[in-house]
Amino acid sequence: MRDEETGSWWQQVTGEAIFGPLKGQRLTPVIHDELTFGLWKREEPAGRVLRPDTNVEAAGEYAPADWEARMQKVRVTTAQILDASLKPRTLVVGVVSHGAAKAYPLDALLKQSPVLDDVGGVPIILVVGTDQRSVRAYERLVDGRKLEFFARPPSSEVRLVDAETGSEWDFTGKGISGALSGRQLKKIPVLNDYWFDWKTYNPSSTVYELGARQ
Amino acid sequence: MSIGFPGRKTAWLTLLVVTLIGLAIVLAPVWIIQPFKPQSPRGLAWSYVMRSWSPLVTIVCSLLALALLVYLWRGTRRWWRKAALVAIILPLLAVTWLARQNHFEWMFHPLPNAAYARLPEAGFVADADMVMTIRNKGEAVAYPIRLMAYHHVVQDTVGGTPVVATY
Repeated sequence: MRDEETGSWWQQVTGEAIFGPLKGQRLTPVIHDELTFGLWKREEPAGRVLRPDTNVEAAGEYAPADWEARMQKVRVTTAQILDASLKPRTLVVGVVSHGAAKAYPLDALLKQSPVLDDVGGVPIILVVGTDQRSVRAYERLVDGRKLEFFARPPSSEVRLVDAETGSEWDFTGKGISGALSGRQLKKIPVLNDYWFDWKTYNPSSTVYELGARQ
Repeated sequence: MSIGFPGRKTAWLTLLVVTLIGLAIVLAPVWIIQPFKPQSPRGLAWSYVMRSWSPLVTIVCSLLALALLVYLWRGTRRWWRKAALVAIILPLLAVTWLARQNHFEWMFHPLPNAAYARLPEAGFVADADMVMTIRNKGEAVAYPIRLMAYHHVVQDTVGGTPVVATY
């Protein structure tokens, strides 16, 4: 990206200015989610949605609905040497916690959600939404106490229970019943990415392996 | 016959060199920063330097080339030499213009006047479509990825904070 005010060049993934008068500056990352629209609109009934540009839409220039399937065939661009265990266009959910990067293949999360792990010395949890696509991650610490979670049998909503207090938690990381009701788990940003791209920006990233629970 | 100063051969040669310099400083960064090809930090650094200097360098090259063109034009009557002069200077004028454009972002389509819909009017997004979402001070916004994959950069103010969403 290039800003009009100074002409500096900004790296999209990191938000860092890499050349120009603002070189070395970083934009403050905004905590965001990548969700299915169906899941988001249940959580945010008063939200607003970016509209398509009518001219672009009329010209048919927006990506077709199946564009993700098409992207699987596009050539991969990276200077990194890739781990042979994953194909370059494997969809991963990337997490950076206290300087340590880890990639979770989406397929593994779908099979095993919730996934409990420790990254950068911090206990974390990754949860898949009821849409079987949206992923959120939290630090599983409350008042310095580490929590172990398990999932209630599938229902229309995500319900997690912690083994320590038996409190119930929802997909937004909020305690909704029990001793920890009303508490909020600290959210960790996740990035939905292709493995090759994640590895390009996080060369030291490790990969979560199915069943490799710590 | 080449009489006088500068010699006509020298003038032709200078014209060529000046044109090549102008073309190189604008086109080399385009080649280095082409999409779907990895870039090296060094290549990017050079590109930035060339890009910063290209508006000035191309204008100097163009003025020099125009002066040489006038000089050579007057001394020739052969139409094909005149044609060659035009053929040389036209690409130079083109890159001089290009050096003043934000051409790197032409293939992205920033959305200058982003518009938003409330949920009841948001029939253009399917439930299974992925959206990038943020929430700040009670204001929640979703950016459909199908649109972001086209525009790449959208500026917004959410909960009073100016943000840029990029994909």
